[in-house]
Amino acid sequence: MSQSSAVQDFVANVQAPEGALASLAQEGQEGLDVLPVPTRKSERWKYSPITAMLAHPVALAPAPDGWPADVEPNPVPGLEAYRIVLVNGHVVPEACDLPVADGVVCMPWRHAVDEGHLANFDWSGYHRREWVGALHAAYVQDGMFLHVDKGVTLDRPVLVHHHTTGDHTAACPRHRIVVEDQAHAEVILWHSASSGATGMVNGVLEASLGAGARLGLDKVQHEEGEVFHLAHEHVTQGKDSTFRIHSMTVKGHWVRNELNVVQQGQGAHTIMHGAYLPKDREHVDNHTTMDHTVPNCTSSELYKGILYDRSTGVFNGKVFVRQEAQLTNAYQQNANIVADAGASINAKPELEIYADDVKCSHGCTVGQFDDEALFYLKSRGIGDKAARALMVQAFIGDVLEGMSQEEVAQEVETLLADRHGWS
Amino acid sequence: MLTIKNLHAQVEDTPILKGLNLEIGPGEVHAIMGPNGSGKSTLASVLAGREDYEVTRGSVDFCGADLLDMDASVRAREGLFLAFQYPVEIPGVSNLNFMKAAINGKREHQGLEPISAKDFLALVKEKSALVELAGRLRDRSVNEGFSGGEKKRNEIFQMAMLEPTLAILDETDSGLDIDALRIVSQGVNAMRDAGRSFLVITHYQRLLDHIVPDVVHVLSEGKIVKSGPKELALELEEKGYDWIKEPAV
Ligand SMILES: Nc1ncnc2c1ncn2[C@@H]1O[C@H](COP(=O)(O)OP(=O)(O)OP(=O)(O)O)[C@@H](O)[C@H]1O
Ligand SMILES: [Mg+2]
Repeated sequence: MSQSSAVQDFVANVQAPEGALASLAQEGQEGLDVLPVPTRKSERWKYSPITAMLAHPVALAPAPDGWPADVEPNPVPGLEAYRIVLVNGHVVPEACDLPVADGVVCMPWRHAVDEGHLANFDWSGYHRREWVGALHAAYVQDGMFLHVDKGVTLDRPVLVHHHTTGDHTAACPRHRIVVEDQAHAEVILWHSASSGATGMVNGVLEASLGAGARLGLDKVQHEEGEVFHLAHEHVTQGKDSTFRIHSMTVKGHWVRNELNVVQQGQGAHTIMHGAYLPKDREHVDNHTTMDHTVPNCTSSELYKGILYDRSTGVFNGKVFVRQEAQLTNAYQQNANIVADAGASINAKPELEIYADDVKCSHGCTVGQFDDEALFYLKSRGIGDKAARALMVQAFIGDVLEGMSQEEVAQEVETLLADRHGWS
Repeated sequence: MLTIKNLHAQVEDTPILKGLNLEIGPGEVHAIMGPNGSGKSTLASVLAGREDYEVTRGSVDFCGADLLDMDASVRAREGLFLAFQYPVEIPGVSNLNFMKAAINGKREHQGLEPISAKDFLALVKEKSALVELAGRLRDRSVNEGFSGGEKKRNEIFQMAMLEPTLAILDETDSGLDIDALRIVSQGVNAMRDAGRSFLVITHYQRLLDHIVPDVVHVLSEGKIVKSGPKELALELEEKGYDWIKEPAV
C-alpha cells in the first residue's frame, strides 16, 4: 500500500464535526490535502516520523457509556481539585466537578464554542502549518474551556484528565485557557490510557495570559497500551505574566510534545520543565519553542531525560530572541542519561538571537551513569538497583521542583518508582 | 579476618598488583606505606570491588568467605569499608538519604527490618558528634562542595555509621589540618576493638602517632616488600624507600 492511500484510509474512517466547528474542520480537511505528511524528510519530524502510526487506520470512538469503572477520575491521591474528565475525546459530564464561582467560566470546550466564547478567537494556526494540526482540526472533539476574569484567583486547581481506551481509537481533545489580567489559575493535565488501548491522541491546548496573570500547568503522561500521542500547546503571555509548565512523560508508547510560548508583553517570565524516562522501545519527543518578542523578559527551561533499553528520545529546544527583545534573560538546559547501549537521544538546542543586549545561556549534555558515583554508593552496601535509583532521583530532582501541586509531584515520583523498581 | 594470597590485578592490560600477600587478624591495625603509584589505592579498590580492576591470579579470604566472588555492595554488607582517597561528589543525593539506604541495605542483608526514623536520627547524632561533623555538612548532598578535609571527615562519619569489621583507610590523613587529624584519629581509635580490624594506607608517620599500628608494610611495585613493627614507619620517614625498593627476586 502506498503512503498516500494509507493516509486516506487512516483519515477516511473518522467523522468530521458539524455546527460552529464546521469551518475549523473544513480548514483542517483542506490542510490534509495540501500539507506534507511528516516523514523523515521533514526537518521538524526527522526523528519522529508518524509512518508507524499511519499504518493502522483509526476512528473516533462513540461517546462512552459513562466513566470507566476501573479508572480513577482523579488519579492523584489526596489532590483537591476541580475536575473535567474525558474518555476518547468525549467529556463525561457525570464524572466532572466544575468550579462555580464569580469570574470563572469553566465548561466543556464544545459548549464554549456553541455559546460563542471562541467566536472571535484567533486560532493559533497550527492546523495551517502542520499536517497533524490539520488532522486534529478536521476531527476536533471536546475538552476544557477555562476563563478566569481579571484579578480572580481560582481557589483550587483544575484537573483535566483524558483517558484513552479501545482499539484503534482516535481522540482529538482541545482545550482553551484564558487567564485575564492579574488572574491566577493552576491546571493539571493528566493523560492515561488503558493497557490494551491502541490508536492516536492528537490534542491541542491554547492558553493566553493577560497582564500580571499567572498560569501553571502540571502535565503528566502516563499511558499504558500503544497510543501515539501528539500534543501541541500554544501559549501567549502578556506583560509581567508568569507561565509555568512541568511536562512529565512517565510512560507513553510514542509521544510527541510540542510546546510554543510567545512572550508578547514586557516583564513576562516563563518556566518550562520537562522529564522523560522512556523504557523498552518507547519514543518521546519534546519540541519546544520559546519566543521572546519584547524587551525585559526572562525564561528558564530545564528538560532532563533518562533513556532505558531500546528507547529513543528527541529534544529540540528553540529559543528566539527577536530584535526588539533587548535585555532578555533566557536560560535553557537539556541533560540526558543514556542508561543502556540500545537507547539513544537526539538533542538539539537552537538559539536564534537578533537582539544585542541579552543574556542567553544554554547547555546540552548526553552521558551515561557516573560509574565513580555508582561505585561509591555500592561500596557502602547499596545494591546496584537502589544505587541507580538514588542517582536517577537526584538527576531529575530539580525538574520535579517547582510543581505547584505537591500531590502531583509525589504521585509522579511514585509512578516512576513503581515503573523503574525504585523504592 | 583477611587473608590475601598471591594477588595479581591489572587495569586494562597493565599489571599493577603483582603477587601481593597480606594477613590481617581480628582487632589488628595494619599500616601500608609505599611510594606514589606503587599500587596502594589499587589494592584498596580491588578489595572494595571496583570493577575496573581485573584480578588475574590469587585469592582473598574475608572472614571465611571468598571476597572476590562478592559484588561491591555485598562486601560492604558483609562488613568491609573503604574510606576513599578521593571521595566522590554526588549532587542531588542527600548525605542522610545515602546513609539510610546504606544502613538499610546492610540490615536487609542481615534479615532485619529497615531502621526506624527515630533510631536513625539518634545514630546520626551520636556518630556525627564522634567525628565533629557539622550539621550543615550532614544535611547536604554527598560531598558536594565539601573541602578536601571535610570529605575525609565525612568518610569517617560513614565508617562510624556503618560499623564495619574491616575498615580500609586510603590516605585519610592527607589534606587534614592538625585538629582534623586528631579528631579523625580519635574517631578511629574509639572504634578499635577486638573484633574490628583496620588497614591504614598513609604516607606519613604522624598519622601513626595517633593510630598506632600493630604492623607496618611497605608496598612497592605491586608487592609487599617489607613488613615490620611500628618503628618501621619511623625508619621509612627518615630514610625513604630507596633502601628497600628493590624487591628480592
Ligand atoms: N584506572 C586506572 N587506569 C590506568 N592506570 C591506573 C588506574 N588505576 C591505577 N592506575 C595505575 O596504577 C598504578 C598504581 O596506582 P595506585 O593509585 O594504586 O597508586 P598508589 O600507591 O595509591 O599511589 P598514591 O600514593 O599516589 O596514592 C599507577 O601507575 C597508576 O597510574
Ligand atoms: Mg593512592
